[in-house]
Amino acid sequence: MSTVIELNHVKKSFKNRIAVNDVSFQIESGSVTAILGPNGAGKTTTLSMMLGLLEPNQGSVKLFGRSPKERYVRERIGVMLQHVSIMDRLKVKEILELTRNYYPHPMDMEFLIYLTGLTPKDLNRYTEKLSGGQKRSLGFAMALAGDPDVLFFDEPTVGLDTMARRRFWETVHKLASQGKTILFTTHYLQEADDIADRIILFNQGSIVADGTPADIKSRILHSSLSFLSDQDGPELRRKLASLSPITNCYDKDGRIYVATDDTDLALAAIFGAGLPVHDIRIHSGSLDEVFEQLTINQEEIAQ
Amino acid sequence: MKLVLTQFKIELLRIFRNPYYVFWSLAMPIVFYFIFTRVISTGATDAVAWNKHYLMSMTSFSVMGSAIMTLGIRLVQERSQGWSTFMRITPLPGAIFFLGKMFGQMIMHLSSIICIFLAGYLISGVTMPVHLWIYCGLWILIASLPFLAVGTLVGCMKRVDTASGVSNALYLVMAILGGMWMPIDILPKLMQAIGKWLPSYRFGNGAWELVQGNPPKWEDILVLAGYFIVFMLISLYTRRRQEAI
Repeated sequence: MSTVIELNHVKKSFKNRIAVNDVSFQIESGSVTAILGPNGAGKTTTLSMMLGLLEPNQGSVKLFGRSPKERYVRERIGVMLQHVSIMDRLKVKEILELTRNYYPHPMDMEFLIYLTGLTPKDLNRYTEKLSGGQKRSLGFAMALAGDPDVLFFDEPTVGLDTMARRRFWETVHKLASQGKTILFTTHYLQEADDIADRIILFNQGSIVADGTPADIKSRILHSSLSFLSDQDGPELRRKLASLSPITNCYDKDGRIYVATDDTDLALAAIFGAGLPVHDIRIHSGSLDEVFEQLTINQEEIAQ
Repeated sequence: MKLVLTQFKIELLRIFRNPYYVFWSLAMPIVFYFIFTRVISTGATDAVAWNKHYLMSMTSFSVMGSAIMTLGIRLVQERSQGWSTFMRITPLPGAIFFLGKMFGQMIMHLSSIICIFLAGYLISGVTMPVHLWIYCGLWILIASLPFLAVGTLVGCMKRVDTASGVSNALYLVMAILGGMWMPIDILPKLMQAIGKWLPSYRFGNGAWELVQGNPPKWEDILVLAGYFIVFMLISLYTRRRQEAI
């Protein structure tokens, strides 16, 4: 494993707004990384700096140990941007040939045509006549035209239907198994969780969490128990709070909730103390909640 | 080298598949030419000379138009639609991309020149010795450089609407004040004085001199070269600033 992407204390601001603040991370070759975050978290700005489209105000961005603007780097990366735009008045085949022509070791034309999923008739149409989804598929094929080592996708599945989405991720899996490094931005949690082996969670221009999906869940996720009690009162609350596996106690939806890192231990403790509770439910946190929790916490800190 | 050739080929394909090209660069000047040499009597004393003169006016009018408008608006379009961003990520050096554009533009100018010259022969029977045709064609081709520089400057604009408005206005004002629609001598004195400093007048004048058997004047070449350098510098500076974000 070697480092292919390296960001060191990168900062970028536009006018008075700080878009990316002191971001550092390294991406190892062969990894699949999701940059996850709500809209406006600084994902696309970070990506643009990795591609050499934007200059950081501070810090450094290196791909293969070099500036992203070097031709050496450009020949080894493939990119699909958020707004796929394709030169007009060219046929699909012509644009694929043109793009392949830019790279020293282009991808096989047959494979690219397969990736577009277009019929032979569509391949001879002008690019401006394609539907939005078809354009995105073509954009994907163009990103792969140079048989790149590193692939960048900015919100790749926005605007794709379910079928196309599945096809896309299947291909990404295949590419990952061939040892390609993949980095994509998304605001869909599920995608990051399903596809990536590492999630870098962005919020308000900073990294708030970085690790495997399981890591992030176990580190930040708090499970909880909820129950009812006929003898609710300060007495019960005091006893609950004194139990060591329980970290917090609160009310929600007319039920008593306790947060814990380990629901088994918490249950044992509650029964062991013989507390008067019934109708117990176990809630395991979802990544969705983590996402919400983290981003909300950040907002609170910011205020 | 293969890179350059493919880029040339692609730019050519794109230009000639554009239906607006045919209309704006060919149909309009040819119709104008027909009207002012065959339909309306201009009262010119020497009809043969007038037919030659006006053929040069219309050819330079056409070429100036595609240099400013077609190039300028295309550049804005490509940027606003994100195509230029994609190109910046590919290994294709920016210089080759630009060269491809200029080459496509030059071929487009050349084909406009040939078509309109041919129309002049067919419509009004304009004849000249072969070397004069070639000199006139070469002059119009080469002296179009300052207008290409204006085109790249228009291409720095953010929105297609602005670019098309500004370039249209610029185009028409330069055409009229430069004496392309009607000879500059019939304009009011003040407008003539301004017109003579415009690149459009100098552009046309080189060709007008050529058809009379004279070489283009030094002033024509100097004024055009001056405009070329100034517009090139402004356009380079603007581009630098825009990319240094």
